[in-house]
Amino acid sequence: MNALDLAEILLFPGLTFFVWLAFVFDWLDRKTAARMQGRIGPLVAGPNGILQPVADFFKLVSKEEIIPEYADKLVFEWGPPLFFAAPAVGTIFIPVIGLSAIVSDPYDLLFILFVLAFSTLMAGMLGYGSAGRYATIAIGRLIVQYAGFEVPLLISLITPAVLARSLSVSGIVAAQNSSGLWYVFLAPLSFAIFIIASLAELEKAPFDIPSAKTEIVAGWMTEFSGRSLGYVKLTKNLSYVFLSALAASLFLGGSSGPMLTHIVLLQNIVYLIYFLLKLFVIGLVIFAIKTALARIRIEQATRLFWTILTPLALIQLGIVLVLR
Amino acid sequence: MRSQTSAGLTQYSPENMVPFGPVHPALKEPEYFKLILEGEKIVEVIPRIGYAHRGIERAAQDRTWIKNVYLFERICGICSFAHSLAYAQAVESILQFEVPKRARYIRLIVAELERIHSHFLWLGLVGYWTGFDTLFMWIWRDREHVLDLIETITGNRIHKSYATISGVRRDLPDNIIEPIRREMKYIDERARYYKDLVGSEETLLARTRGIGRINSDTARKLCPVGPLLRCTGIASDVRIDDPYAGYDEIVPEIKTSREGDVASLLALRTEEVRESARLVLEAMEKIPAGSVKLNTPRSVPKGEAMFHIEAPRGELFYFVRSPGGTVPERVKIRTPTMANLLTATAMLKGQTLADVPVVLTGMDPCFGCMDRVTIFDVDKSREWSVRGEELRQFGINYYGNGKKH
Repeated sequence: MNALDLAEILLFPGLTFFVWLAFVFDWLDRKTAARMQGRIGPLVAGPNGILQPVADFFKLVSKEEIIPEYADKLVFEWGPPLFFAAPAVGTIFIPVIGLSAIVSDPYDLLFILFVLAFSTLMAGMLGYGSAGRYATIAIGRLIVQYAGFEVPLLISLITPAVLARSLSVSGIVAAQNSSGLWYVFLAPLSFAIFIIASLAELEKAPFDIPSAKTEIVAGWMTEFSGRSLGYVKLTKNLSYVFLSALAASLFLGGSSGPMLTHIVLLQNIVYLIYFLLKLFVIGLVIFAIKTALARIRIEQATRLFWTILTPLALIQLGIVLVLR
Repeated sequence: MRSQTSAGLTQYSPENMVPFGPVHPALKEPEYFKLILEGEKIVEVIPRIGYAHRGIERAAQDRTWIKNVYLFERICGICSFAHSLAYAQAVESILQFEVPKRARYIRLIVAELERIHSHFLWLGLVGYWTGFDTLFMWIWRDREHVLDLIETITGNRIHKSYATISGVRRDLPDNIIEPIRREMKYIDERARYYKDLVGSEETLLARTRGIGRINSDTARKLCPVGPLLRCTGIASDVRIDDPYAGYDEIVPEIKTSREGDVASLLALRTEEVRESARLVLEAMEKIPAGSVKLNTPRSVPKGEAMFHIEAPRGELFYFVRSPGGTVPERVKIRTPTMANLLTATAMLKGQTLADVPVVLTGMDPCFGCMDRVTIFDVDKSREWSVRGEELRQFGINYYGNGKKH
């Protein structure tokens, strides 16, 4: 691995870039929700309050961290970095400034499935490690919800792979680029199910059941404070970006699009612009859905996933298998 | 998980007990509910009340009749006018005052405006408690229109200091009819919109339909008041059953619903908002000219009176006894929340933890109102403080040792 690769992974378009996107997503989320609700939203830090999420993060990181007496110290202290690692590692498989990602492997989609599962597992471990009563209930809900959305999420992820005959995110993006047809048009149901399952993975309304603030305070995050809370919140925003980027790559062609120039550097910029446009479109769809809906109950969510979305995802996969 | 003791009481292991309050994001006032869970399902609710006890009834015995109007207003930050109105009317009936007709109409107008503001506040909170923040933000923005109107009329948004013994403290401002017409039209429109919204938004319906359902038989046993009673189909409203202020001439129409669940409470309260807007408009059309208050004597003759009115949350009782002098001997208050607490506890059993905030709010609780009452209520008969265990025992006995339900 040379210095350029390392810079790509750590700075651009790797970790630093995606963390920056996480802050922008947080700001956009708050701003969109505020506008939809007839409010103003963040205003003071930076132009239009765009630096508010950054300020919030550094505020949390610099605050005192309280570790509960009965908490599992090892999990409680080392869990947040591991939790952060899951979406951070996942993002390096997303093509941003080209049709190929920083790291591209023929089977990287399988690794992404592992990342998604690991993220939920870490949330569960963090919650149990904190040994709080609210957290205990939240983890029960989290696992039930995970058991609900996992299957439709996987099936809807596999559908584009079947269409592209590739198990790599870069391969799927390249296939969409060469055919010129986004998979959202070939598998619209899968796209919708992926967005809904992403809402559940991200614990956003109507699936914010494991962190329902009016029932169980902050869910599995209740006992966290200071530095660990800052990282947990940053991780949730990074997962937000990661899942949106995944949806954009698998269904909207990711960084692909009509190429306007032959200069390599300019080509990179054009790819980046396509990627960001699609990313923010997906983001805005998720913001709008989560603002416009109320929270449902856990058994209603599970029923939705098992009896409606899983059969629909299977039907879509069947159609794709017949049509391809 | 559950075991029977020799006394036949059900004992619960502490791991299944989830404390709900006294400090909890869903409760804006301190109150404590022990919830015993089996999984997500609630099998037992043990309320422990008294956290917001302020000793207001005792304080009233040291203040003059007129000062007490403002003291009782402080009982509740939402239905403050209802409290001062009930107290003023109780004192008026000891004094045998005939309140000027214009004052009675103005009282009706402000009371109905307060009902709109209280119901909107509650609707918004249900949005908040079901995780539907957008509904909360929208309704509270519309509530500002009513608060502005109340401020124009009375000079204050929340603690109006408007009612007084023998009338209201000042006349309506000039040219108030136009703003009232405009705002009431707006409120009516919005209430209609929210009625459609709460009846059609699927995620909200999933959280409210069939939740906390009680039927009219249970309601008759547990004696809830206000919308909680009316949502079971029992048409009971003090404004019609025992008219006060201007309600003998401006007659409201009782809205009821048969479902008895939280969804029907939502629809019912939007209906009541529309009815209140209509009442305000009708009263503005028919309001007579004249004075708005009489001269009030400093001392009140010996006697006692009880008065009940329909506060936004339901029937509000005031009992006033005068020893003949400048201060009351005893004032006893029973607020709607006190009457509704047992019903809410009954509604919670069998629901899931996710439903607790929604069902508890379903009764529109005002613990600040209630707590002062409870302590005095029990003090009167015996010397004991209300402990959760005893209330639970009371509940068990009430239900025939758990066999009936």
